[in-house]
Amino acid sequence: MSIETSPPAVPEAAGGTSQIQKILFSNEFGLVVLIVLAFAFFASLLPGFSAPFSLFAIGRQIGIDTMIGFAMMAVIVTGGLDLSVGAIGVSAAMVFGWLCERLGLPLAVSIPGAILFGALLGTINGYAVVRSGVHSFIITLASMSIFFGVMIFLTKAEAFRGLPPEVAALGRLKLGGKVSALLAISVAVCIALSVFYRYTTLGRRVLAAGANPRAAEVSGVRTGRMFIACHALTGALAALAGLMVTARTGAAVPSMAGQLGQDWLLPAFLAPVLGGTLLSGGRVAVFGTLLGAAFVNVITAGLLQLRIGEFWIQACLGLMLLAAVLADRGRHVLLRRRGLV
Amino acid sequence: MKSAIRTLALSAISTLLLAGAATADPETKVALVPGGPHPYFSAWEQAGKDAVKDFGIGAADYRVPQKWELSQQSQLLESLLSQGYNSFLIFPGDAVGTTPVVQEIVENGGQALALAGCLKDPTPALFCMGTDVANSAYLGTKELIKAMGGKGSIAHFTGFLVDPNTQLRIDAVQKAADETNGAVKVIQVIADIDAPQPAEEKINAYLAAHAAEVDGIVTTAWVPAVTAANALRKIGDKRIKMVGIDHDEVVLKAIKDGFVNGTMLQNPYGQGYVGSYVLDKLRSGCTIKESAPWAKNALTAKFVDSGTVFVDASQVDTYVDAMRGITKTLKENFDKDFLACK
Repeated sequence: MSIETSPPAVPEAAGGTSQIQKILFSNEFGLVVLIVLAFAFFASLLPGFSAPFSLFAIGRQIGIDTMIGFAMMAVIVTGGLDLSVGAIGVSAAMVFGWLCERLGLPLAVSIPGAILFGALLGTINGYAVVRSGVHSFIITLASMSIFFGVMIFLTKAEAFRGLPPEVAALGRLKLGGKVSALLAISVAVCIALSVFYRYTTLGRRVLAAGANPRAAEVSGVRTGRMFIACHALTGALAALAGLMVTARTGAAVPSMAGQLGQDWLLPAFLAPVLGGTLLSGGRVAVFGTLLGAAFVNVITAGLLQLRIGEFWIQACLGLMLLAAVLADRGRHVLLRRRGLV
Repeated sequence: MKSAIRTLALSAISTLLLAGAATADPETKVALVPGGPHPYFSAWEQAGKDAVKDFGIGAADYRVPQKWELSQQSQLLESLLSQGYNSFLIFPGDAVGTTPVVQEIVENGGQALALAGCLKDPTPALFCMGTDVANSAYLGTKELIKAMGGKGSIAHFTGFLVDPNTQLRIDAVQKAADETNGAVKVIQVIADIDAPQPAEEKINAYLAAHAAEVDGIVTTAWVPAVTAANALRKIGDKRIKMVGIDHDEVVLKAIKDGFVNGTMLQNPYGQGYVGSYVLDKLRSGCTIKESAPWAKNALTAKFVDSGTVFVDASQVDTYVDAMRGITKTLKENFDKDFLACK
């Protein structure tokens, strides 16, 4: 679902035909076609690719990568970025482990507690970006090291391995015997975010502030607050992604996102950028992010099963990001010509 | 050249071990999956190939996650299960975090052993086979203390903190030092350095500042052993005694030249070779005996020691014999004490 802040460029008089054209030329439609083609290609070559367990495993990874992508998307809306999504996600997961295992708090308290903690770290990022005026790249590069370093210092790099069995059970849960519960969570968040950006005043103000901060300011939107809210949302979504990874492994592990949480950066950018979120801000593609994550994971799973060297997969994902960024640039030019940004 | 010699040596071990190979299941597809790229596990590749050749197993492939990261390993394991692999030898990326994916392997008709590192009980893995790391570190430290004349200060360089074995090693080194009633002290433990860059950085920096205070070095991970051996060679002072781990050429050469006193050999080849053999046997109708003489460690009550041996300058040229010996004994022990085959 692309949500645009500007009026549509195609006149209403064009009617149904232009609507169909709009869909056919949309980023989401292109991704759906690519996913279907990629899936058909791998399924025809690999007998195990479309087996129930394979589909479940791919779906679960799509769920996790989608949430990581949403976390980055929420701040890309402002024209900024957040390099600390991985560090926030891991820190929140470790707070969850601490609340659950050390304090013995129930999941009903520990889960919201961890998400609020993630939102708090995001708020710190947002406040620092707005108050300092320094680009979010620099601020979040610093906070990535700070959040991760403090987490390692406090936990002594020890994992929380005594979590309630319900946590690991959630990671293995198959809804209807087929669909990963983690994917279902991401789909639910996808719907909630779509409603937020399309139908709520705050969501529209966020988009307006991201598209053109000065114009939004003149219109009475307090852009600083909007940017802080975006970073807080990023923190909350990163925390949710951290909890999903924890559910998958049944333990809160400090290394779950690699050193400094850097292993999340590629999926964090790939999903929203492939999905059609503009890096320059002001336009989100919530459903596109879900599709972007799906495309990346179908390709990754296919290459893994084809036994293309595991080391080449990372290179392939990097090339996909580069292609997506170039496509984003082209799309931005096109939208500007049509007066949409 | 080194790898060719190693391959020949390992093949020689397998040829000599090939006594009594029994009917194998050609449908057995074994995946040997370490936690990430690391030289320790490279012997698993040859071990898998030799197991296929010697026992007629369908496949025994060494597959390495692209990074030393739990989710990468889980994703690879899921993919291998989808590809039809039905037997898994896994170095757990995390003692608990790897359990859910092993559970899924078992639920989908596969079987798994924890190899070189254990999963924490309760676990769906059949058992854990690896070096008794605590015993190896303890024995290595005792050898070091002997070389130091029973007194002095030790620096301990060890592996990744996320490796479930690291804390066991730290505790074992401390235990050996404590038994000297204060004559020997562990004055520094440097962990999380089982990769070239951090090992070079931290070991060299530490020795540059504190070499005079150190009488002995014990290393309990591959890369720190190589780095420390090189550092002692550069310093050129054989006053500092050292006991390393594993069989990297750098460490073996340093033992020959007198810069390192000895090394604790582990048995990664035997782990992969015998592990593949056992999984195939279990798929071919054998079961594990009720009376199997499991050892215990801090993580599991079903542990099998794959063997460790101290090698000094007098044995360094014949270390392949030592590895051959412990692998042969390991396989014989499984046939005799662990497997019940009709």
